[in-house]
Amino acid sequence: MNIALFVAIPLGFAFISILHKKLAPILLIAASLFIIVGLSFVQNGETVIGGFEAPYGIHLLMDSYRLTALYIVNILFLSVVLLNIRKYHQMSTVLLISLTGLNGLIMTGDLFNLFVFLEISGISAYLITSTNKNPLASFQYLVAGTVGSSLYLFGLILLYAMFGSLNLADLSMQVSQLTDKTPVLLPFLLMFLGLGVEVKLLPLNSWVKGILKDANTLSGPMIASVYAAAMSLVFGRILIDLFVFEGRFIVIVSTILLVSILAGEAMAYQSKNVKEILLYSSVAQAGLVVLLFVSGLASWALFMVMANAISKMILFTIIASASEENGDDITVLQGIFTNNKLIGFSFTIASLSVIGLPLFMGFVVKMNALNHLFGEQMFLAIIAILLASVVEGIYFVRLLLHLWTPSETTVTFDIRMKAVLFALAVMLIVFGITVEPIESLKDTIEIGLNVGGTSWRI
Amino acid sequence: MKKVLALVFVLVLGALIMNHLNDNNLFAGFGDAMLENRVSQSYIDRDATENNDGVVFDESLDLESGAANTVTAIVADYRSFDTLGEVTVLFISSFGVALLLGQSKKRIALEFKPNFMLKIGSRALFAVILMTGVFVSIHGHLTPGGGFPGGAMIASSMLLLYLADDEFRAKMRGFKILESVMGVFYIILGLAGLMITGFFLENFLDNGALGTLFSAGMIPIVYIIIGLKVGSEISSVIDHFLSEEGA
Repeated sequence: MNIALFVAIPLGFAFISILHKKLAPILLIAASLFIIVGLSFVQNGETVIGGFEAPYGIHLLMDSYRLTALYIVNILFLSVVLLNIRKYHQMSTVLLISLTGLNGLIMTGDLFNLFVFLEISGISAYLITSTNKNPLASFQYLVAGTVGSSLYLFGLILLYAMFGSLNLADLSMQVSQLTDKTPVLLPFLLMFLGLGVEVKLLPLNSWVKGILKDANTLSGPMIASVYAAAMSLVFGRILIDLFVFEGRFIVIVSTILLVSILAGEAMAYQSKNVKEILLYSSVAQAGLVVLLFVSGLASWALFMVMANAISKMILFTIIASASEENGDDITVLQGIFTNNKLIGFSFTIASLSVIGLPLFMGFVVKMNALNHLFGEQMFLAIIAILLASVVEGIYFVRLLLHLWTPSETTVTFDIRMKAVLFALAVMLIVFGITVEPIESLKDTIEIGLNVGGTSWRI
Repeated sequence: MKKVLALVFVLVLGALIMNHLNDNNLFAGFGDAMLENRVSQSYIDRDATENNDGVVFDESLDLESGAANTVTAIVADYRSFDTLGEVTVLFISSFGVALLLGQSKKRIALEFKPNFMLKIGSRALFAVILMTGVFVSIHGHLTPGGGFPGGAMIASSMLLLYLADDEFRAKMRGFKILESVMGVFYIILGLAGLMITGFFLENFLDNGALGTLFSAGMIPIVYIIIGLKVGSEISSVIDHFLSEEGA
């Protein structure tokens, strides 16, 4: 199975889909299913495009890390699509293109090609958010996203001027051979800031609030779960493979991350709108994930992305669906679970997993990450994670109490939504109780990564 | 206050960049870079995958990339996957314009009444601009230009008709079909490469003699596809911008 097909098939279907409106949703689901089925036939290694070996041409890479990332992104993408395709069928072409972009982002082994896919997935994300009916927020997202990818491009241009190559593996080898690494810190800083916009690190995330506070059942889970997962995993991969952390760069990076985590949790704590609570919480989660990546805990960061993506998908879908009519003020939504036990159950599990309580996937991830950080004596990171978990615990439990308090509110949920979200919630429990699949996956992932040398301590 | 902060931020960033790149031993000055260690030298010598006896205009046969224009060789051959991506960027942007502005019946009126001479004159000029666009697309592998600028020229000929005639309205359905079919052709070419040579988007046609019109294998075909696709996409953007909202 040639992995270039994971880009070519959705793209070709997108070109066809503009001709026939009725056919477009079918093509979307077909492409999405094709990729998920196709993923079980891929082999690790590189796939050259156009017949020119790297670094002269572009190649796509496949290893356990990327395969896991593709599974996470594509399965969640398909779930979002299946739940929304009836209502938002006019977005089918856009969704096909975003599928192309996200898969390309994860697989590409070339940094300029990564920029191209960043643009493709970015533009489709702006269009997906246009379903929020808040054009100003979408426009701000467009400006922020474009400035972000321009910063990334600027950093990449400087790297190309220095080393004359755009290939990730080639650059990473040349950078690791440098004795003095200060000359490359500026391009790395620019690329870090650029990608930081996409993974919504503070203070680069001014767009998040406008987008997610009006989010609907399509744009909410798509941006907060699918895109967030894909972007953090791509960002993480570059952090591990390419970046070196030295000198002032460490100070800037650690400030950004700690501010993201703590300010994100603080803002979630004092917010009264359910969507705002969720969106600030996901800002903090993004900071935590990047913190794990830069600490060298790549596989645990990957699992944290996975746990978060599943949880956010459940949380955002439920809240977006429940707030369609009356808004998302915490008092309005009081008691929505009284008559919807199954939805309430899924929501509760997702939020408890985010906090990191035992029995759920979030716990396994946080526990192991803390364990490793403790071994490395990175106490600042440990304090940040623990503090974040405590604050999360307070506001999520408060939120759950509100939503479970009996009241007269009658909100009904789609039966398909109940089923899909319940299945995802069960997944969180399964991974929370049985650790073996994660442990064995972790070992195969780490064989493919060259961790070490790039990690640092805060 | 916000503006002052923004100015300060930009100045600090600018100072940081200049300070960092000055005396940076990796960042070579103009003309000082060691090209032989870089991939770009191989793009010029065409020896990324094979050795050859030098690149001679009008003589070299069947090089690894047969475009006389080195920029084209990089854009449409060595890195053609990026170009497919850029085509997608324009496709989704144009689709987004159509999605956001919606289907509208009525076009925006001009501020003046075009007279007969203007209408006829613009038709004549239309043909010239259109042919230039087609020429630039087809000769992309020989001269500066290619599918993207060629397509933009084709679209600008449409713009001329829109500006010179207040009743003119192109048939958007035709453009849509053209856009879709060209996109599918591009993917099919890529898949044909995969079937025949085992690499997606690999050039599977004979490269011919460097510098002749019928050379460089797939590149002229790809550039015709891109030219028509870009032309129809930008034309549809023009049509949407020049028609009234709603209706």
